[in-house]
Amino acid sequence: MPPPIFAVPPRPAVRLINVTKTFGAHTAVRDLSLTVPTGCTYGFIGPNGSGKTTTIRILLHIFHPDSGEVEVLGERSTRAANDRIGYLPEERGLYKKMTVRRVLAYYAALKGMARADAAREIEKWLAKMGLSEWGDKKVEALSKGMAQKIQFIAAVVARPELLILDEPFSGLDPVNLEVIRTAILELRAAGTTVIFSTHDMAMAETMCDFIFMIYRGNKVLDGTLADIQRSYGEDTIRVSCDGGVELLRSLPGVELVRDLGQSQELRHPDPQTLLRDLAPRTIVRHFEVTKPSLHDIFIRIAKPDAPELAAPKTTGGGS
Amino acid sequence: MNKVWCVASTEYLNAVRSKAFILGVLLLPVIMAISIGVQVYAQKKTDLTPRRLAVLDRSGQLYEALAAKANARNDALRTQPNSVSVEMQGQRLKMDLPQQPEFVLEQFMLSGDDLKAAELQLSERVRRKELFAFLIIGQHILAPDATNHTELLYHTQTPTFHELPSWLDNTLNAEIRERRFTAAGVDSQQVRQLSRQVPLQRLGLAQQKTTGEVIAAKLENRIATHAVPIGAMMLLFMVVMSSAPALLNTVLEEKMQKISEVLLASVSPFQLMLGKLFGTVLVSLTLSTLYLVSVAWMLWKFGLLGHVPGHLFAWFFLFQLLALLMFGSMFIAVGAACSEIRDAQNLIVPVMMVLMIPMLTWMAVLQSPASPFSRALSLFPPATPLIMFLRIAIPPGVPGWEIALSLVLTSLFTLGSVWVSAKIFRLGILSQGQTPSIPKLIAWVFSK
Repeated sequence: MPPPIFAVPPRPAVRLINVTKTFGAHTAVRDLSLTVPTGCTYGFIGPNGSGKTTTIRILLHIFHPDSGEVEVLGERSTRAANDRIGYLPEERGLYKKMTVRRVLAYYAALKGMARADAAREIEKWLAKMGLSEWGDKKVEALSKGMAQKIQFIAAVVARPELLILDEPFSGLDPVNLEVIRTAILELRAAGTTVIFSTHDMAMAETMCDFIFMIYRGNKVLDGTLADIQRSYGEDTIRVSCDGGVELLRSLPGVELVRDLGQSQELRHPDPQTLLRDLAPRTIVRHFEVTKPSLHDIFIRIAKPDAPELAAPKTTGGGS
Repeated sequence: MNKVWCVASTEYLNAVRSKAFILGVLLLPVIMAISIGVQVYAQKKTDLTPRRLAVLDRSGQLYEALAAKANARNDALRTQPNSVSVEMQGQRLKMDLPQQPEFVLEQFMLSGDDLKAAELQLSERVRRKELFAFLIIGQHILAPDATNHTELLYHTQTPTFHELPSWLDNTLNAEIRERRFTAAGVDSQQVRQLSRQVPLQRLGLAQQKTTGEVIAAKLENRIATHAVPIGAMMLLFMVVMSSAPALLNTVLEEKMQKISEVLLASVSPFQLMLGKLFGTVLVSLTLSTLYLVSVAWMLWKFGLLGHVPGHLFAWFFLFQLLALLMFGSMFIAVGAACSEIRDAQNLIVPVMMVLMIPMLTWMAVLQSPASPFSRALSLFPPATPLIMFLRIAIPPGVPGWEIALSLVLTSLFTLGSVWVSAKIFRLGILSQGQTPSIPKLIAWVFSK
């Protein structure tokens, strides 16, 4: 009889245990625990100033936590793993006076990459991004979109095992956005663990295996999108009717969530009552009881004194 | 260390390939060439219009002699060559002689006793440009006891032209002296011989060889005792000043352009800071090597290289290295702590004041290189690189133990400066907003 095979779960790419970071009297991250499995795409969401960038800087050991443990790619509380991490900061930084190839070669060299290997990888990525002919131009000659793509190449050129992208899509036109999005998905398919922070909820919904939301330094969401939505239940009604937002506001019990123009998202204690109230007043073209979108959940949490703060909904990601 | 080298080499290549560096290298010789050229050009463009002078000689005895001397001067100017040939190190150099305008004198006769009217009349002629100036010689100018200050009155509306009043002063006083001697029955030639100056010769010290042979003291060499120490110290100051402050700009620029965060994801703050510091040291050493090679070549060409002791070059590089590490780290810390150039300019003032100490005190050190003040100053680490170097350059030099002590103190201070700067850099490089106060910076230094 063959011996039983025990499946050993792969080591997580990132593990934070009870991490707290304060700046003076301000607590940027409070008692945060988080596990990012290897090979997944993990979305960090949260309002500005909620602690996303601080968490990312802790992962990169740019900031040291006041307490708690940080383990990245198997390295605990040291910068030893940094050469295996690619990082695209929210605010882009490239040497304007250097040529594209030189700046990319410099960033690759800082990750310990051999010169010839870096040169090959740079050419590959420049071609992939359609920027080969710009390789010998100075960075200052590039358009904003091109510079964004070069910054992205700088993050991935050293073939990182963990890729951390802080707002990778901000300021990109749809064409360039699609190029970067495809590149991220290809990297993920090749086994790279991707963490990215974004304010684009639709992008997070479609790209991320796990969503982590931080608000005022506290973890308020952590899990798969399906689990998070499930935890909120089917409490959202999407309506499209003549009279629109004005009519809906006049009905008793309606809490308007979002006006989408042609349709509205709202909550109501009893959808059947709402439909009965609505039918005699207008023509209802669409009426759907659905799960809340990530956008809706985000807004609910990030509202001042939101009740969700008291009970973080964490179902996935391992923590 | 590889990452430090990676940052340093990139910083170095970025700097030496920049237009600013190329301009910086060329700047000194270009400025020197331009200033010499401008002087030569200005000399050639000297206004040589003859200066017309009216002389009211109330003594009635000096005008003729003065006019004769003016004519002799004018004749000499007309016949003198424009340039002379000087032989130096087997090469003949043509040197232009300074050009001077002629002085044309006319006598003004006073009609009546109204001196004020005459003064006014002559003043009007000066205003109408008929005259350049006028001179009133007093009635009693030849009297031996004539000591008041109204015997020679020179009037002009161009007071910045000194050649004419200087010539008048010298010529008339020489003439008056001669006449006073003659009137007193004294042989003026004998007086001149008897009152001849005895020049003072400056020498070093005699030495005795181990063989017992005594070597006579040598005549003091002004090049070795003054020109070399001052020139070398100024060159050291210049290369330090042209490199270290640039660190403030590059750090601040990287911080403002958010490049620092990208770099800090790959290197530690200390590695980044050291890389920048070493890169700047390399840039500065390149600059000083270029300058020193050029200066040494020039000195050799004119046979003056022998006045520069060889060990001075080694001291130059060593003190340059210490100064760059010490002040460079301070500039880095200020750049990292600030978020705007304006704030950095304010915060850098104390560093600049310390950096300027040698520039404010080197004259006193040159006068008395071995005085307690000079010795103490050369052992004060921020001043050591320049002041100790100056003292070493001044013959006969500095006792070995003083140099050793200064190197130990400066090395310790430099290490301290780098350590403090690294602590400020670590926190400052990612800080945003208001520039921290001095107490806050101190808190950064002692934070974990």
